[in-house]
Amino acid sequence: MNLENDSPGMMQRREILRRAAWLLGGAISAPAALAVLQGCSARTEPGVVVATKFLTTAELGVVAEIAEIMIPKTDTSGAKDAGVPTFIDTALDGLYPQPERDRFRAGLADFETAAKASGKPFLEREPAERADFVKSTLVAALAGERSPKPFILMTRELSLLGYFTSKVGINENMEYVAVPAAFHACVPLSQMGKHVYWE
Amino acid sequence: MSGGWAAKELTEKGLRTLVLDRGRMVRHGEYPTATTDPWDLPYGNRITEETRKRKPVQTRTGYPTPANQHWFVDDLDNPYTETNRFDWIRGYHVGGRSLMWARQSYRLSPMDLEANAKEGVGVPWPVTYDELAPWYDYVETFAGISGNLDGIATLPDGKFLPPMDLNCVELDFQKKIADKLGRKLIIGRTANLTAKLTHDQSPQRATCQYRNMCIRGCPYGAYFSSVSATLPSAERTGNMTLLPNKIVYELIYDNDKGKATGVRVLDAETGVQTDYFAKVIFLCASTLASTFIMLNSVSTRFPNGFGNDSGELGHNLVDHLKAPGVNATVEGFTDVAYTGRRANGYYVPRYRNVGKDKRSYLRGFGYQGRASRSGVGRFNDSDLIGAELKEAFKEPGPWTLNLSSFGEILPNHLNHATIDRTRKDKYGLPVLNIDAVLRENELAMQKDMVNDAVEMLEAAGYKDIRVNSGDKYFPGLSIHEAGAARMGKDPKTSVLNKWNQVHACKNVFVTDGSFMASSACQNPSLTYMAFTARAADHAVSELKKGNL
Repeated sequence: MNLENDSPGMMQRREILRRAAWLLGGAISAPAALAVLQGCSARTEPGVVVATKFLTTAELGVVAEIAEIMIPKTDTSGAKDAGVPTFIDTALDGLYPQPERDRFRAGLADFETAAKASGKPFLEREPAERADFVKSTLVAALAGERSPKPFILMTRELSLLGYFTSKVGINENMEYVAVPAAFHACVPLSQMGKHVYWE
Repeated sequence: MSGGWAAKELTEKGLRTLVLDRGRMVRHGEYPTATTDPWDLPYGNRITEETRKRKPVQTRTGYPTPANQHWFVDDLDNPYTETNRFDWIRGYHVGGRSLMWARQSYRLSPMDLEANAKEGVGVPWPVTYDELAPWYDYVETFAGISGNLDGIATLPDGKFLPPMDLNCVELDFQKKIADKLGRKLIIGRTANLTAKLTHDQSPQRATCQYRNMCIRGCPYGAYFSSVSATLPSAERTGNMTLLPNKIVYELIYDNDKGKATGVRVLDAETGVQTDYFAKVIFLCASTLASTFIMLNSVSTRFPNGFGNDSGELGHNLVDHLKAPGVNATVEGFTDVAYTGRRANGYYVPRYRNVGKDKRSYLRGFGYQGRASRSGVGRFNDSDLIGAELKEAFKEPGPWTLNLSSFGEILPNHLNHATIDRTRKDKYGLPVLNIDAVLRENELAMQKDMVNDAVEMLEAAGYKDIRVNSGDKYFPGLSIHEAGAARMGKDPKTSVLNKWNQVHACKNVFVTDGSFMASSACQNPSLTYMAFTARAADHAVSELKKGNL
């Protein structure tokens, strides 16, 4: 693979691979790298082997779809482009104690059970139906008991965190200036490029 | 903070100086995450479970994220015991907490230094503001403090570099609380260079780049730290020998000479024990660490701890009182924002018990905060998802403004640290036990700290005022612990004299927060710097006179 002249798609994969590398503590073996790459290109399809840390491949497939519904590809990259599914898996592994992780897993199972009960398994639905189901689950969760945080709210929070801390999520949606050199206290938005300044 | 100043002052005055630091070496520029882009920080830069397990106390602050956690001690390797919860936040590396500090730099005022005597609290300060003022001038000039000349008697102006700017909403808030409540709001006075220093002693330091990543260490040297400023100056004299990984655990006292002759040290990496000897010793290990060393230095002359004739060593431990933070949403100003990341906020100086104001409690508090446009967190309570959410994110969220308070805790003999000899750390040293609680004065003040914040936000007409009742304060969390070897005129009631010298052993100086006879409510580091420079000057002068 020529790292200097690869396509935007490959750049994205390389980014995810690099990200995966440091998440795994630096070195990443070739087979594991391949799995990550395959995962990134096809992680929505059940059965594809993905190097997950906490979620099973099947679970990650569902989480990836929910994340993409939360943050779809529009004129800017979507959750999958930004590596959010891998981020969520990694975050569950590294940021939560075991009971919280288990609760997430149980919540995910409940989500799928509810989808089946209301007609069709989540991943077998048409895209619009999936989005409707995610939205209605979210609305119900917002109206109900919020502590401990329901699965769908955890997933949205992790999706937003993963996306807006990713390279594409930041650079495509915000003005990220590594070294601003100056502080301008009151700037009309009309004079800014992107209106959201990374801080 | 204070150790770097002692090293600079003593070496510049010609003393061959050995600097012992219990932590690893950090040289200016050795800040591993200083220029790391946000997407290269793992876990979205959230505190990991692994960090929570190793650093359960340090994570109480919320600071040890992947970008910063290497500056915070491993609590399991560095234990202490808490009779009542005390958050002891530490950085064991060369430069210590001067690398992670919030850089807010305020003078104590005559009011602050006179309060103990007037009110009969603790012991009177043995130093007046007029004695201290030239030393504030001196350290401000060297460190580079940005601030506005505000002309507030209870918060004296200093030698400032140009102030940073308040943003539109902060200016609105400033005007409204001045008009409606007569309270002042000023731009924070911060140890960030907003212009070139007025001296040429720190060529390694450049002006602030408005990255607001100071806590990671600044490759530009734009904020003051021991690593960026004082230690390079000390090194340039050729008089400094700095040894990292040296845990000072005891002062050596010579009965015949009536002096301390040196310190006992364990090497943090090898465990090898060594004694180092010196004519003059400065303890700048931070309040509780210096307290530990002194309490652990038991001799026939000092059976209760070094210099502890008064029985006050370890006592009168204070911090700065916090109350739940308060914030509000500000309507309007939707067509403006700011660019650059200002490494600073605003400050509302103390107004309670000032002038004619009289409360049921003594002393007072100040507020720090900032106004900013809300970010992605605003979606947590919304049902927005998908393209709609992404579209909504393209415009900055509503302005929010917050007030976070720092109040004075009265010195109280009952708030204290002792040595717990039933436990040992991995070096075989006993550990510190800390027992400090909030008392009547603090609890009364805390109510005002919340109510006044709400009052100001209401007076400004801001909406959706929220008291963050989840902010539970325990002593230590402000990371301004001080007072455990207080200075005073009377050796019977204080540990140090007005020159930071141990009353009973004049060649030992303690110049970290330990000496504070009261803490006022201002961020304390600038005061530690001023007292350290002053103490070093005195030490060299006394040494030359043959008095040490």
